[in-house]
Amino acid sequence: MATKPSLPRFAVLQLSGCAGCEVSLLNATEWVEKYKLVYMPLVVSTHSVPENTEILLVSGGVRNDEDAWNLRRAAKIVDRVVAVGTCAISGGVSNLGDRDDVRQMFLAQSNRHHLPHLLPKSHPIDAFVDVDLYLPGCPPTPELFMASLTGPEDYNASTIVCQECGRKKLKDMRPKHLLGFQQGEVLPDICLINQGYLCVGSSTRGGCRAICTRPGHPCVGCRGPSDAYIEKESQVWFDRVQKVFENMTDIPPEEINQALHSPQLSLFLFQFTDYMGGDRRPRSKEKVL
Amino acid sequence: MTTLRFPLSRIEGHARVEMEVQDGKVVSAQFQAIEMRGFHYFVQGTPAEQMPVIVPRICGVCSTAHHVASVKALEDLFEVKPPPLACEIRELLLLGQLIQNQATSLFIFTMPDRVGASSIFHMDETEANPEQQLSLAQRALKIRQIGTKLITLAGGQFIHPIKAVIGGVTSGIKREPAQEMLEEIKTVFPIVCTLFDEYWAMSLAMKERIGTWGDDQPAFYIASTRRSLPRFNSQDIRVMGPNGTERASFPPHLFRTYLDYTETEYSYAAQSSYQGGILRANSLARINLANSMGTPIADAYMDELSSTFGKPAHPILLFDLCRGIELVYAFERVIEMLDKDLDYEDTAVPYTPKDGEGYGLVEAPRGPLIHHYTVKDGLIENAEFIIPTTHNMLAIERALKVAGDRYVSPEGINLELEKAVGRVVRAFDPCIACATQ
Repeated sequence: MATKPSLPRFAVLQLSGCAGCEVSLLNATEWVEKYKLVYMPLVVSTHSVPENTEILLVSGGVRNDEDAWNLRRAAKIVDRVVAVGTCAISGGVSNLGDRDDVRQMFLAQSNRHHLPHLLPKSHPIDAFVDVDLYLPGCPPTPELFMASLTGPEDYNASTIVCQECGRKKLKDMRPKHLLGFQQGEVLPDICLINQGYLCVGSSTRGGCRAICTRPGHPCVGCRGPSDAYIEKESQVWFDRVQKVFENMTDIPPEEINQALHSPQLSLFLFQFTDYMGGDRRPRSKEKVL
Repeated sequence: MTTLRFPLSRIEGHARVEMEVQDGKVVSAQFQAIEMRGFHYFVQGTPAEQMPVIVPRICGVCSTAHHVASVKALEDLFEVKPPPLACEIRELLLLGQLIQNQATSLFIFTMPDRVGASSIFHMDETEANPEQQLSLAQRALKIRQIGTKLITLAGGQFIHPIKAVIGGVTSGIKREPAQEMLEEIKTVFPIVCTLFDEYWAMSLAMKERIGTWGDDQPAFYIASTRRSLPRFNSQDIRVMGPNGTERASFPPHLFRTYLDYTETEYSYAAQSSYQGGILRANSLARINLANSMGTPIADAYMDELSSTFGKPAHPILLFDLCRGIELVYAFERVIEMLDKDLDYEDTAVPYTPKDGEGYGLVEAPRGPLIHHYTVKDGLIENAEFIIPTTHNMLAIERALKVAGDRYVSPEGINLELEKAVGRVVRAFDPCIACATQ
């Protein structure tokens, strides 16, 4: 116990999100002995990030003015800021992609006078503060959480989800149409694209150990683009997905294109919604775990 | 008039309490949910069949309940009935969620209150024996982890599950992984009982110190679990009156006939009530509405509770003890279920999508959860999420007022009030991410 006072101190700032990232962090038990958690409203009763905090993990997007204030205040006093999860990185599900019509209706009906005011969009945190490391995932796995704390350089991840999935790609199984996200029986061991599912694991960042595709759910791209695409515009990434489907299936390209760009997909292809409008620059790959 | 504002922690989501005090008396107590994301709006126009994968993102703590409620709403809409095995696997999923949630609420949210610590991870600062306290946090996380592992086993993904589908589930559970899980659960179960015993003893000591179990008046209780062997993959909602008689039993599509909904200017969450009466949902409601848990050790704890506090029991700190009883029940029940064959038939039946209206009900750890969808041209036209925490909103405010009256007097404000506010809110274990979506 003699070493205890020198444990590195970390804090978790929870902005507007679902707390799934926090739950994932609680599933990683290893940090308990190696780090001192000084602030995380979900599990610790302190009301602001204390001085002398080294690492600040930020989960959730900036949805209201209080989120923005808390974020700016906390980022100032820490050594390192880590953006955790899709909401903190791109605004997440509640950023709504390019669905401005829904956004207008929501704002008109939802604001309350005496409460923190909702901003027009759910913003990624790097719209307000500098970020040292991005930890994508919805949510990131406990293993990834540990890597973000202990040192991402040692984390052994594959380039893309496909490499961690292990399903076989077949040459002679070419679907003619998309099946949608969840329909019919999923065959074990065979690539989901061969089965007609819109799976984007072929260009999505590895490191999650393919926790969705292995049990049979198509990858929805929650970890964002792999290093090959992350510094490029979202269109390059979309083209790449399109190409994979052209090579592996007989599904008409318009069908894929339409599915990738449909409004509801902006809820899934989380990371790309903020690139589409061109108002944000892609993050550099060195900063993404 | 003075306004006291209390920030809250060790609860799910962002909320605060505001009390107005005048002449040494508490005039009002408001429980304010201060965040909102807007799921109700942005699912409009979504293909209905994608809902089961989108809605878990409403809340990372309650994701499983949303996942299953969503699938059930669409099954109601498409008029399809899942096979019995699929229902069992969904029950396992919901039990996994119950374990994870009740363990978190008991050991991570409320245990620190019992010893005056700010967090279970800091309990070594207040207790004499750091070695033992460190193991307390480790044991608590180990118990939670069983819930997560069970969700992964039955649901495919560890936080936002994916395996429940319209018409059933994507697969059964093979003998080998079921057996592995069973062995692990059996080794952790004794830790659950010991830790709960410690928790019960700490609760008794806290009661001695503060002099109350939470002296609030009786209320109506609402739950959708059965009278014995509570099923969380539930069918009907029941309401019990303050004196213990059952007042109503209704399927989810009739909820507006029985429950009133109001919105307030001071919170992003709604409030519900039963014919003008204050409702309570969550663990205490389920235990009050049950004759037995149907498993031996949980029943022994339940008997101890009933013989000490009567039935129905009303003091609010009993919510916490009831969570422990349910945690024990969930372990016992999962052990029974995993011992049986869970891979004996097809796990899904085909369906034909169509337009219309559907309701899906499950008993989430925090109470009955309803998803209500209207579908037109295959897209969601409107979606309503009837969140268990809204059933507790008025009850929380009344209990806060009682706590305020206890600690505020013309002579001054007792500093214990801040702690009492935390204890009251945590007893109800509200989920703000869900309540506001």
